[in-house]
Amino acid sequence: MAGARQATGAADREIVISRVIDAPRELVFEVFTEVRHLSRWWGPEGFSTTTRSFEFRVGAVWDFVMHGPDGTDYSEWITWTEIVPPERIALLHGESRDDPNAFESVLTFEPDGRATRIVMHTVFPTKELRDDAVEKYHAIEGGQQTLSNLAAYVAEIVLKGAEG
Amino acid sequence: MARAATTSDAFNAIAEPQRRDILALLRAGEWPVTDLAQELGMSLPGASKHLRVLREVGLVRVRGAGKQRLYGLDARGLRPVHEWIGGFEQFWNESFDRLDAYVQDLKQTQQEE
Repeated sequence: MAGARQATGAADREIVISRVIDAPRELVFEVFTEVRHLSRWWGPEGFSTTTRSFEFRVGAVWDFVMHGPDGTDYSEWITWTEIVPPERIALLHGESRDDPNAFESVLTFEPDGRATRIVMHTVFPTKELRDDAVEKYHAIEGGQQTLSNLAAYVAEIVLKGAEG
Repeated sequence: MARAATTSDAFNAIAEPQRRDILALLRAGEWPVTDLAQELGMSLPGASKHLRVLREVGLVRVRGAGKQRLYGLDARGLRPVHEWIGGFEQFWNESFDRLDAYVQDLKQTQQEE
């Protein structure tokens, strides 16, 4: 039972997220390719972005600032490493040029009937960097969280799970 | 082996509904075991056993206060659950929620044109 979620090999360095979007693949792919689209959906509700520069081709970058709902700014630097319209985008995601902790995500777009399945496969250089990223994004979403806040937060989710 | 998994793994520990009830109760503050058992309609040995499992995986801690022993939430054991729930994943799931809504708008606009 415990083995089902046990990490094996690179599994403890990666995170896979997938989502089915009810729209044709070309359209879903398109919203990844232009700032006017990306700025409309990048980040959870309450987040916004200010782009310093953007170019969508292999080797080019998207240099931007992400603004959190609590007013914190995060410097973001994305380099496209592979672009295969409308199937696949690979990118390197860091905080700045030459960020040694940058990590690679590969997005694939597969037709699923009339819908499109996006699979985002992110591999971190080490398990420690994966864990750091998880913590960093917790902080990005929740502002500064102390461990006691964390306890209350998780217990709330456990409670919701018990009720649901 | 199944027993070992229960006592070493927070995920197994919270899979048990009564243990989730205990965690939900402790969210509001610390409780002595007798009051906790009464509040949740559990037997005293039953509540004690669940609390022991929760302590072993680091989800619950205990401290002495006078003659009483008070049980409270412990964040350390919650860390793996917290990490599993999210941060990075939650960020992207919520981004994809917005992407979905935006793409539906675009689709609508294209159909109207």
